[in-house]
Amino acid sequence: MEFSVTERDGGVAIVHLTGRLNMVAAGRLRDLISVSVAEGHPRVVVDLTNVDFMDSSGLGALISGLKTTRQAGGDLRIAAPTEQVQLVLQLTNMERVFTAYGSAETAFVNG
Amino acid sequence: MGEPARHTLQLESPPGDVNAVHDLLDCVWADVTGLSMRDRVSFETALIELASNIIGHADTGSGVTCTLTIEITEDRMEATLRDTGECGNIDLRQRSMPDELAESGRGLALIQALVDDLDYSQEGNLNRWHITRKRES
Repeated sequence: MEFSVTERDGGVAIVHLTGRLNMVAAGRLRDLISVSVAEGHPRVVVDLTNVDFMDSSGLGALISGLKTTRQAGGDLRIAAPTEQVQLVLQLTNMERVFTAYGSAETAFVNG
Repeated sequence: MGEPARHTLQLESPPGDVNAVHDLLDCVWADVTGLSMRDRVSFETALIELASNIIGHADTGSGVTCTLTIEITEDRMEATLRDTGECGNIDLRQRSMPDELAESGRGLALIQALVDDLDYSQEGNLNRWHITRKRES
């Protein structure tokens, strides 16, 4: 999996992922979110546009990130989940926890 | 489709990881026509959860060797995994999802939601796992 982070004004960081968010990649995502929050970006968007697979390990990393950002007064939002990611969110009853935004750039537009 | 499409993989972890299972599935999807997207993503998700569980929990310190066989027929998708991990008392009663902020504990419940049958048995010193999903297409 490939990772990159784009920083925006207002304490927003967009984490772009490409590939499979599985047990191999989950730890790296947790670390990236923790670093973004520690560097003053507690509002994190995880851009899932190019994630063609996510399992429960990847979901665990998102939940970890959600808790990390909220403890810092921010939030974690997801953007553009693919069909497989939506299926996992649906079957684990996590759709109500992670509202999916159409694009990473709009996830924090309204606060 | 005539003969069942069968693919096998022997995985030693470490250094191998679940990406080898994804790569095998890419070969399966290239080999089998007519599978729906829902069937593919459901089977792949269940199989990766199962393989992750074996790699992540069955390693007693000396690594784990896992032999995977995938068979796709006209009406079903099946996978059998045999691993050298520690044999345990496996409880496969219907699982429920944990608290929504729990960071783990969803794997078996997710598998059960995605396949029609999940079975575990012991074959000598090996653990044998088997999943079956009936095809919708």
